[in-house]
Amino acid sequence: MYDIATDHASALTAAVLLLLFVVAVVGGLRFLAARRVALAGRITQVYDAAPSMTKLAAALMLLSGGIHLALVPGHEGITGVLFVIDGLGFIVFAIAAFLTNWWRRPAILWLVATILAYLVWVIAGWETPDQIGIACKLIELVALGLLMRLANPTRRTWLRRVWRATAFPLMACVTTLGIWVGGLAHPDALHAHAGALLQPVAAVATPEQQVAAAELLANTRASIARYQDPAAAIAAGFKPGPVSSADPLRHFQNSANANVILDPNRPQALVYAKTHHGLQLIGAMFQMQRAGQWGPDPGGPLTQWHQHEGICFSPFGIEFSFETPFWTCPIGSTSITTAPMLHVWIINNGKNGPFAADLDKAVQRELTGRS
Amino acid sequence: MHHTPSTNSSAADIASVLVVVQASLSLVAGLSAIPFAIVEPGFRVLAVVTILMAAAMFWLARNLRRGRRWAWRWLVSLEVLSLAMTSLLSLLPIGTIRGPVPLLVNLVIPTAVVVLLAAARSDARRAA
Repeated sequence: MYDIATDHASALTAAVLLLLFVVAVVGGLRFLAARRVALAGRITQVYDAAPSMTKLAAALMLLSGGIHLALVPGHEGITGVLFVIDGLGFIVFAIAAFLTNWWRRPAILWLVATILAYLVWVIAGWETPDQIGIACKLIELVALGLLMRLANPTRRTWLRRVWRATAFPLMACVTTLGIWVGGLAHPDALHAHAGALLQPVAAVATPEQQVAAAELLANTRASIARYQDPAAAIAAGFKPGPVSSADPLRHFQNSANANVILDPNRPQALVYAKTHHGLQLIGAMFQMQRAGQWGPDPGGPLTQWHQHEGICFSPFGIEFSFETPFWTCPIGSTSITTAPMLHVWIINNGKNGPFAADLDKAVQRELTGRS
Repeated sequence: MHHTPSTNSSAADIASVLVVVQASLSLVAGLSAIPFAIVEPGFRVLAVVTILMAAAMFWLARNLRRGRRWAWRWLVSLEVLSLAMTSLLSLLPIGTIRGPVPLLVNLVIPTAVVVLLAAARSDARRAA
C-alpha cells in the first residue's frame, strides 16, 4: 500500500551517507584529539560528556534533518521552503543538544510540529504518504520518545503523570490515523483501492490490444464454462478456498496450474459468487508466481494486473485486515503481499469491466445481496 | 557546556523508550483491527490480545526502567521471539519485509532493544 516515491528515493541514499559521515566525523575527531589537537579534544570531551540518550536523540534529529534537506529538490513551492526550514532546524537542535541546556523543549515542539504538519499535508492531499515519509515520522517519533524521557519532572501531580504516560502513545495513534486517512482519501493513480496496487500501463489501449483483450475474455469464458457446477471444478483439481463470512466470493484454486502463465484453459483459480441459490461461476483468476512479477497484459490498460499488499492475514479462521502505515499487524496475523493477479469476469461486470480488480459493487449486491 | 538534567540514561533507559515505541505501534495495530472485527470474528480476539500485549509492554518498559530483572527477562524473550518470527516470515514469499518501514519496525528496533538489554545487563554486572 505504501511504496517508495521515485522523488523520495534519494533521501534513502542521503540518510545512509549522513550516518556514514557522522561516524567518520566522530572517528576523525577522536583521531585528532588523540594527537592533541585542542579544538578536536574539546569537541570530543563535550560529546563524551553527553548522556547516551541525548546522543541518540541528536543523531535521530540529524537524520531527519538530512532526509528533509535531501527531499528539497523534489518539492517545489511552500513545501520545499518548509523542508529547508525543518531540516536546518533539526540540525541546529542536534548540535544544540551538546552545547545548551534549553534545547529539549523547543526540540519537542519542533518534532511535534513537523509530525503534525506532515499529517496536514497528507490529509489535504498535498503529499502522498510513502515509505520514506513514514520512516521519517518513525525516526521523529523515536526522537520524541527519547526527549520526553529526558525530562526531569519536578512536580509529580497525578495529572502530569497521566499526561506523561499517555502523550506518546496518543501521538503515535494520531500519526498512524493521519497517515491512514491521507493514504485512503488520496490514493495515487496505481492504487485501485486500499490494499491493491495496479500494474503500471499506458493510458489508452491500441486497437490490437482491444482485440487481444476481447479474445482473452472470449477464450476464458469458453474454457471455464465447463465448471459452472462446482463439483466439476473439484473433479478437475480445483480446491475450494477457505470460507470467510466477510467475503461474498469464493475462490477455487488449482495448484497444478501454479506455473502456467495466462492460459485461458488453465487458470490458477475460479471465482464463484455465494448467491441465494448456491455458488455461481462468475470468473477466473490468473496469478503469477511471486510478488512484483507482473504478468503479460495483451490488452494493455484493459488487462491490468493487480497485487494485494498491506494486508494482515490471520491463519486462525483465514481472515484479513489492513496493516497500519507502520507495517504492524495484530498479534496472530502477519503482513502479506500476494503475487500479481488478473481477474476475468465472465458475467457483465457493470462499469468496472471484465478485467477489473474488483467485482462491481452493484453487480455484487445483485448477485449476493451484499455489498 | 550544559546538559539537560536527565534521569539515568543507561542502555536500559533507551531500551525502555524503544519498547514504549513498540508498545504504541502494537496498540495502534490492535485498535486498527477493531473495525475489521465487525465482519471478521477472529480479529475480535486478535485485537483484544494485541491491545493487552501493548499494555503489558508499557508495563514491562516501566519496570525495566526501575531495574526489575524479571522485566528484563520477559523483554529479552519477547524481542527474541519477535525477531525469530520475523526472520521465519521473511523467508516465505509473502512480502513481509518490503522497504525501510518494515525493516525498521520489525528488524532494526527489536535488534536494537536486544543489544541494549544485553548492554544493560553487562552494565548492571559491572556496577555490582
